[in-house]
Amino acid sequence: MKKLVIATLLVLMAVSFGFGQTNVVVSEWRVPFLNSLTGSIAAIGEFLQWGANYAADEINAAGGIAGKPVKVVPVDTALDPQKGSVEMARVVKDSLVAMGPVPEPVIMAAMPIAVENQMVSITATTSYEYASQFFPWTVSWFPPTLDRLPPLVVAWAKQFGDMKQVVQFIEPYGPWPGMADAHSKALKSLNIKEQKAIEVPTDAVTFGPLVVRALDQNPDGVILVCNAEKAAKIIKELKSRGWSKMNHILVFSSADDAQLYSTGGMDLNGVQVYNYLNLDISNPRWDKFKAEFAKAHNGNMPFSLSPNYYDALYMIKEAIEKTGVTGDPKKLKEERKKIADYIANVKGFKGLLFDWDMKDGVPTNKPTYIFEIQNGKKQLVLEVKQ
Amino acid sequence: MQVFIAQILNGLSIGSVYVLLVTGFNLLLLVAMIIHFSYPQVVVFSMYIIWLVLKMTNNNLLLGILAGVSSAVLFNFISAPLFQKIMKNREEVDINATMVLSMAIGWIITDVLSHAFNNGLPIQFPEEITGSRPLFRIGLISILPGQVWALSIGIIVVSGFFILLYKTKAGRAFRAIAEDPAGARLVGIPLVKTGFQSYALSGVLGGLTAVLLAMLFHSASPGLGEQVSHKVLAVSIVAGLGNLTGGLVVGLALGILEALVQGYISGNWSNAIAFVVMLIVIMVKPKGLFGMKV
Amino acid sequence: MPLSLYYYLSITAVNILMSWALYVPYRMTQLHFITIANMMISGYLAGYLVLHVHVPFVCALLIGFVVGGIIGYVVSLFIGDAPTFAVVIVGFTFIYITRTIVENLSIVGGTMGMFGLPNIGGNPVAHRWIILGILYGLVVLCGFLIYRFDHSSIGRAASAIFVDKELASSLGIDIKKLGMLVQTFSCTLAGGVGVLYGFIYKSFHLDFFGFALIGVYMTVLFVGGYSTQWGPLIAAPILYGVPLFFPPAVQSWRIVIYGVMLILVLVLKPEGFITRKSVYSIGLALSRKREKVIRS
Repeated sequence: MKKLVIATLLVLMAVSFGFGQTNVVVSEWRVPFLNSLTGSIAAIGEFLQWGANYAADEINAAGGIAGKPVKVVPVDTALDPQKGSVEMARVVKDSLVAMGPVPEPVIMAAMPIAVENQMVSITATTSYEYASQFFPWTVSWFPPTLDRLPPLVVAWAKQFGDMKQVVQFIEPYGPWPGMADAHSKALKSLNIKEQKAIEVPTDAVTFGPLVVRALDQNPDGVILVCNAEKAAKIIKELKSRGWSKMNHILVFSSADDAQLYSTGGMDLNGVQVYNYLNLDISNPRWDKFKAEFAKAHNGNMPFSLSPNYYDALYMIKEAIEKTGVTGDPKKLKEERKKIADYIANVKGFKGLLFDWDMKDGVPTNKPTYIFEIQNGKKQLVLEVKQ
Repeated sequence: MQVFIAQILNGLSIGSVYVLLVTGFNLLLLVAMIIHFSYPQVVVFSMYIIWLVLKMTNNNLLLGILAGVSSAVLFNFISAPLFQKIMKNREEVDINATMVLSMAIGWIITDVLSHAFNNGLPIQFPEEITGSRPLFRIGLISILPGQVWALSIGIIVVSGFFILLYKTKAGRAFRAIAEDPAGARLVGIPLVKTGFQSYALSGVLGGLTAVLLAMLFHSASPGLGEQVSHKVLAVSIVAGLGNLTGGLVVGLALGILEALVQGYISGNWSNAIAFVVMLIVIMVKPKGLFGMKV
Repeated sequence: MPLSLYYYLSITAVNILMSWALYVPYRMTQLHFITIANMMISGYLAGYLVLHVHVPFVCALLIGFVVGGIIGYVVSLFIGDAPTFAVVIVGFTFIYITRTIVENLSIVGGTMGMFGLPNIGGNPVAHRWIILGILYGLVVLCGFLIYRFDHSSIGRAASAIFVDKELASSLGIDIKKLGMLVQTFSCTLAGGVGVLYGFIYKSFHLDFFGFALIGVYMTVLFVGGYSTQWGPLIAAPILYGVPLFFPPAVQSWRIVIYGVMLILVLVLKPEGFITRKSVYSIGLALSRKREKVIRS
């Protein structure tokens, strides 16, 4: 009986393997990645690309996608909507699936082209509010802002009994004012008074006037909703003006990247930050990723969005393998649809840090964390369930 | 009152950035007839050189400063002939052509900085150069060493260059070459030697400005120059092109205006309001508040 | 038509038109960057009208032109004869003001932007042909108008102002009136093009209208040649098209290449690649050839 079961299993495996092998018509899966490799966010583009390339190497070493190697094709959009649109128009011609674009201005110029041509392009760095405009031809890497952020801010504020008034520094870029609104919702729910928000000009180079204005309102807590470099400089300025309750400063996730640490240095000690990325998690894949990332980036640990396109490529792999997509150009439309349907409701996806599910393009169970920065490193304070 | 004083001091701090940059901009105009729209980018390039040398020499401040100054001087020697060739082509100081050339130089600098230094991430200057502790602090009023250095050296530099250019023989020679090279040659001014001296002079100021901005900002990023270049151009125009004293006054005034707008009205509107005010001034006084010097 | 070709052609047309919007006032030395703000104002206004008030696209486009023209005219009352740098500062000021207003205006999407502009003509194919038709119709129309302008007495007056403003004034040229004319034309054009620009992307975002656009249009104008309308017409497709075919390694140094190219052109060919002289020579050669053909 035991032998029969084993034989049956072997036959089934052979059949399914053979099925996958014979159906795939491409010799290589080519996945274009529309990324900002030049321009002002080239540094971020580089590590996003690194993550995707690393995933491709790993996948190929393990036998590829349905037995065929995968190649991530970098497509530089240079943070330029003009270039982004024409590049996406080229990509949609014959690609099965793509990744990117990055960031929001290029997403807005290029994603309507993917939607019109019914091709999935996974925008794994933008907020739900942008991604949802292009469903089902992309998925959101994050739940809706108004759902995911309030619990984090509530958890942060509840650590301290003395927090009665909070001020937010808000930079007017893309989804950030919306994220600040979500913070406000949390503060309101705790009956914490939100003071007049401090608007941070996009081209600000010094922050004295803004910080004095904020401190004049006598806040007990500060939430920073601005880019990493500005957040670090505001923290330095707050400190130089006598702010000492460092853990009463909360930095939002979009500012949790390398620039925060390289600019803020030791002045960040004690500051809290919320994010999805938890460096303390340990599993073989993630540990290896961290080590390789550090090797390639002067010893730096992975930054906030580093694993996103690593996971995106694995999600594409899973979609291709699970749906039996062949890469046949004649079935392009049909197979694109299969991929869209699959990733919109993927269950138990094995991400680099944790497993998660998607429901209609929105992740349902991604954990989020609050960390405290000490000596340039993040230490976990608490995990927050959505 | 405490808040108001703090904001005025903040304004002087921002203003000193403009003063330093506008003085360098005006100096290039006065001694070489160059309208360098991207002068702030050149200064940021020198900041990166300072950072690099500090890193390589384990924070040797003297070498860092020397490297910053040398890089700015070298940059002038390379770029100034390009500007002059264009002006020779056009036979006049042409703000449009020089602006485009300067813009192109600015693109190159910004892009090279984001490619070749620190993976495009902002650079951080060590405490040896920045002095992170306030010199004194009373409530919200706080003064950092970098702020004092930037403002005081800004004023000294403007005064020094004013005296040099308008009260000395050498200064007159610089201006003569810039305004009329043929005439200058006729009256016996050595063109090559004086030309080199003028480039070196404006380069030295660029390097010093880089050191002071490093002290003031504590960090720099590839886009820093672009962030202030519009305002530097506007300040020099509102003050009167080439007017050193005007640059000093208008630079500080713009800093204070910005600080007060950000402190009392709105951060988001500070640029728009600053430009509207400058626009009104230009409409009323097209040659600048203090008159052009070119 | 291949989709990438459509995007290439439509954006090229936008770049030609916007470079002409800079070219016309520059005929009398004015760098009128307010055109970028005009694109933004008319574009967002038209987007709002189509999406939320359900105004037909054609009406919204016309409103875009008119609003651009009105702003241009009103501003020109003050800066029709202003010196170059004053006009530059006016441009910067308007860009800052417009950006700040849009950032704070939730009805046009604020910092998020405006999504989901509809297909004109009901489907994507019709949309593309209509957009291309309007854009290239505008290129032909504006090309004709600018040609007439360049070859008219007012065009010659603009040339005189370019060479010597004071001399032109002493010859009886009304600098302000001419300035008002060219500024109003360029702002009207920019307003309409701004609407079309958003409808190419089917969305609006503040960064579609950033200061980077100034760089693009200035490069087209100065590399192509600022002394004749043919300069931008030829430079726009090349400068936008060639980098699209750079290999990835070269691609990442694209901006440096652009910068070096611009410097070389300014130094070696100060008037740009296409000059009036070259246009005249080509015209002469063509007319000789024509004469030969007629004689034979």
